[in-house]
Amino acid sequence: MPFPPAVAAALSQAVLSPEELARLADLHYHDAGHGYDAFGMHPSFVSLGEVIAGPLYHRYFRVLSSGHEHIPQYGPAILVANHSGNIPLDGMMMWMDVLLHTSPPRVVRAVADHFVPSLPFVGTLFARAGMVGGSRGNARALLETGELLMIFPEGTPGIVKPFRERYQLRPFRVGFAELAIRHSAPVVPCAVVGAEEQMPQITTSRRLGKPFGIPEVPIPAVPIPLPVRYHLLWGEPIRLDQEFRPDQADDPEIVRAATVRVQAAVQGLIEKGLKKRKGVFA
Amino acid sequence: MNPINVMVTGADAPVGERLVRDLLQDSRVDRILAVPWKEAAHLPQDERLVVVPVDLSSSRRVHELLFGKARDLKIEVVVHTQLHRSAREEGGRVHRYNVDTMRGLLSLSERHPSIRRLVLRSDAAVYQIQRDLPVLIAEHHPLNMSGSAPQWIRDRVEADVTACMRMGMTSLQIAVLRTAEVLAPGTGSQLFDYLESTICLRPAGFDPMLNVLTIQDCANALQRAIHCQAQGVFNIPGADTLPLTAAIRAWGRLGIPMPGSLLSPAYRLRARVTGHDFRYGMNRRRFHYSGVLDGTRAREVLSFVPCHPVEWPAA
Repeated sequence: MPFPPAVAAALSQAVLSPEELARLADLHYHDAGHGYDAFGMHPSFVSLGEVIAGPLYHRYFRVLSSGHEHIPQYGPAILVANHSGNIPLDGMMMWMDVLLHTSPPRVVRAVADHFVPSLPFVGTLFARAGMVGGSRGNARALLETGELLMIFPEGTPGIVKPFRERYQLRPFRVGFAELAIRHSAPVVPCAVVGAEEQMPQITTSRRLGKPFGIPEVPIPAVPIPLPVRYHLLWGEPIRLDQEFRPDQADDPEIVRAATVRVQAAVQGLIEKGLKKRKGVFA
Repeated sequence: MNPINVMVTGADAPVGERLVRDLLQDSRVDRILAVPWKEAAHLPQDERLVVVPVDLSSSRRVHELLFGKARDLKIEVVVHTQLHRSAREEGGRVHRYNVDTMRGLLSLSERHPSIRRLVLRSDAAVYQIQRDLPVLIAEHHPLNMSGSAPQWIRDRVEADVTACMRMGMTSLQIAVLRTAEVLAPGTGSQLFDYLESTICLRPAGFDPMLNVLTIQDCANALQRAIHCQAQGVFNIPGADTLPLTAAIRAWGRLGIPMPGSLLSPAYRLRARVTGHDFRYGMNRRRFHYSGVLDGTRAREVLSFVPCHPVEWPAA
């Protein structure tokens, strides 16, 4: 990072309330030495993340969260949601929601596509706030240490989908279900309603993303995201671990069926959220 | 249990020397055959210690050593720590030193009357580091088999794989310890050489996690491997896991971010002008993407936990 953790801590102290700082001081993480965990997360940058994401969460997108009592307060779990909006603000709002609604606060480890760690500055900042690259080894190591993962199984095809196809889920990749079964981690479905309208898209370009290894770069119709209202709807945990033995994670049919089940749960929450909301901006 | 006799190659290098000193304090070890490359006056005087300087790049000398002095001393465990340290030097002689010596030690140990165990000190540099690979590097992590890798890395990979290929083929027990980078002078550490400059140029926008080891912990891991019966590959991480920028700061240096494309020529020029060993091209990937050794297997099998952090000058 261009600045050390002490600067991040000073910025956080200048902006966050003493109560919030005291709450964040209880944040639990695995210090691998020098204050960072092995993946590069540092609590001072988590606080800075709240400084950055807080105004977006509270004022710009005015997030309404329901069902967050289903987020496990301890132990491994995989949070699975729909992905949309051309830029990953949905992940940022979920990250913030988990931080606010867990006590002691937990940092959800967003599992990002392979290209994200290779993005200069952004990749590093995200890593300091808990993001990890999307490899099975990273996910395994985090689940084994009882961390909370956030996975968008639609991947890049989800976030760049055209406006006319909003709230229609792309087929979920199966990796998260395999991880959940193998590591006995509950899956908590989540619907993000609002993000799909934040940046209507004109088209996508493969050429623009090539230098950074990004599969597709969306060309949005608006320069900045619209101030839509976000609704986060958390569903009851799906205990795949109670239905399947860890060795059944190798069975493609079981993993596929578990994936379809979770996708249906997310789709159900999306429909519930769409019915509940009064308008895109309301 | 009877005390064992141990041979240590690379005894003139910091890790080998430290291991020899530790073994002299170890009541489970009787005779120690220290094999420096040249005369090593700094090794301690002790009646249990025999020092035989040998240029191990000569296969004849290796043969004479193992079936001469090592046989006479009834050496049971060979610890091979010797690797060419400089990245500047390349060629057939370096390859013989790094790889052929290893190959020779293996085949000779397999038919030796007293040697039953071979411990190889390998290097974390054998692992591939790239954006889509896990940050935590387990023993089954892909190796850097790239043909474009410099000889410094290719030789280490070849020596490592040569040892791994012989595991379980004969009664010789083989343990390969892939150690994190030892951040100390004289160890061939690229990072140490990099931090020698007052100004450390680094790729802008990237701050990968690094893991470094101390000489004490490295020697401790080797010592544990000597007394263990287990075969296989073991990652040996250090007690310090930190980002590159934090390492630069803790070393009291000034880190200046630059576009990655300018760093290779800048450090090539530095190497030419000052004779430094650091090669940016060799370290490009790990200066962009994190790679931290996962020491779970070493903890479970060797009971090794790093406990000597680096003494950072400015921390």
